[in-house]
Amino acid sequence: MSEGQIVLENITKQFGSTVAVQPINFEIKAGEFLAIMGSSGCGKTTTLRMLAGLETPSSGEIRLNGERMNELKAHERETPLVWQTLALFPFLNVIENVEFGLKMRGVEKSERTQRALKWLNRMEIGEFANRSIDQLSGGQRQRVALARALVTEPPVLLLDEPLSALDQNLVVRMQSVLTQLQKELGITFVYVTHSQSEAFAMADRVVIMSEGVIEQIGSPKEIYRNPASRFVAEFVGTNNIISGYIKELNEHIMICNTAFGTIESNLDDANNSHILGGAVDLVISADMIELSQEETSSKNQIQIQFIAEEFTGSVVTLYFEDDKKNELIVQKQQREIEPLELTYGCKIYAHWDPINVFCIPELNAR
Amino acid sequence: MLNDKSIVWLLRIYLLLVFVFIFMPIVTSVVFSFNSDRFPSLPLGHFTWHWYDKVYNDPETWDAIKTSIVVALSASLLATIIGFCTAYTDFRYNFKFKNAYLALALLPPTIPLIILALAMLAWFSKLGISGQIWALIIAHTVLGAPFAMAIIRLRLQQMDKDLESAAWNLGASEWATMRHVIIPFALPSIISALCLTMAVSFDEFAIAWFVSGLNKSVPVVILEILQGNVDPQINAIGSFVFATTMTLVVIAQLFLFTKNPQ
Repeated sequence: MSEGQIVLENITKQFGSTVAVQPINFEIKAGEFLAIMGSSGCGKTTTLRMLAGLETPSSGEIRLNGERMNELKAHERETPLVWQTLALFPFLNVIENVEFGLKMRGVEKSERTQRALKWLNRMEIGEFANRSIDQLSGGQRQRVALARALVTEPPVLLLDEPLSALDQNLVVRMQSVLTQLQKELGITFVYVTHSQSEAFAMADRVVIMSEGVIEQIGSPKEIYRNPASRFVAEFVGTNNIISGYIKELNEHIMICNTAFGTIESNLDDANNSHILGGAVDLVISADMIELSQEETSSKNQIQIQFIAEEFTGSVVTLYFEDDKKNELIVQKQQREIEPLELTYGCKIYAHWDPINVFCIPELNAR
Repeated sequence: MLNDKSIVWLLRIYLLLVFVFIFMPIVTSVVFSFNSDRFPSLPLGHFTWHWYDKVYNDPETWDAIKTSIVVALSASLLATIIGFCTAYTDFRYNFKFKNAYLALALLPPTIPLIILALAMLAWFSKLGISGQIWALIIAHTVLGAPFAMAIIRLRLQQMDKDLESAAWNLGASEWATMRHVIIPFALPSIISALCLTMAVSFDEFAIAWFVSGLNKSVPVVILEILQGNVDPQINAIGSFVFATTMTLVVIAQLFLFTKNPQ
């Protein structure tokens, strides 16, 4: 069968008169790490809960391995979920928590203990088997929650913002634990998050949702470099989004009038719906802009003034504006900007290659 | 002018007076239950177990104690089951008129006891069970269920809503979830509710006096002795009832305030 492992077809969900999920369609391939990303209330958690059977779709069909599973009750599905709150049972100790799924499937006590221990050891928390939950740290609880979900060896693991309660340094560590685990097990991970860094760091593909609608599906790189809508471009941040009108148009090149003057863009074949004089939104990634003290021969070049910087580790986000106060964001490695000797208010040239100017498809431009 | 320290001392004295006011009659009763004199007067006579002996050898008191225990055990069990079901409905479901439902469930303690007792008497005689032990069990169940519900509801409100969904997600049917998640989580409050409703039943007088008939409970017997003559064995029975009730209430409190293991 060519169909994906999980298929959502025209799925909608309404709570009373509020529409949480508009008709959405997407497929999840077996063994892929898929992230569903969006801000709160965008329908991402509702979508995940429908996969787990905790919500019933208002219309549409969810298929697992080609079989309709809308009517399958939550406890009849093999789609364990790792909860944002972890939802560990406080009255059970660590190993009893992990054994829970096996116990419900009628697995015998000795086998249960053995399988639970195997997973606890795999998550490197075997020594805490007989501890109570409140004696564990946040990271250890996280591992218990993972072991509890994985002990039944499911084909799909659902994760609902599982790292949101952890310290930042622990988040990064758990990200690598998760990606490695997913590779080793070869099972499908569906990971809901509001964090772009989590989604981009781990996922093979990312689904971006907003107000119950899918804005874009693609690899992190595709989404970052080639956002399908102005919403996505703004959501992934560190992009300069510049509105303008098409001044010249031929097969491969588009020249637009913008607040920064004329900007040239190389057209990719997908977007051939442009018309002369039409409005467009251009996207230039902050890390694709070059800075230099002298004028260059680049087609896209403007003179700008340095106004602020934001230092986040090895990467620096620089804020500039031109003489008409239009803002431009540039991201550079710390070592790259040192030779430029930037001082506040100093003037400098910014330039970028036309192949790095992306045009948001007009149908989705808002 | 009062400074901080004198306010603290005034409050301490006030607290002491409140406790004296509440416990003095009970303490007096306990003290005189061990006093050899026939009439409660000072100075005290000598220490004696005589009145306890008398109670111990009185078959009528024993019958009353047995009745009270049977009623307290049955009524507390029934009240806790009903209270649990009501509290769980509140935790789990949202429905129209839910507030009315909750208000109705909490209603019985707000009705004047005499009115409740009269109504029960009338209703039980219509059903033909007036004077039987069943009448008292049902009456005390009605009286205790709201307390049980309030206690268990308090506990369920502390429960992470995701726990139930997590159990379903891990393959537990709704019944299995009830057995393996909801009840274990609510267990401290269930024990607490059992003790408290038992205490409520054990020292309830008004309704018992109306509906108990020949199955007299301990408080009813106390009143009968008191009406006959002044006998220090009342102090002995009273001390026993007080000790039993307080023990139950203390156990209930201990379980009620067990730390929420989160």
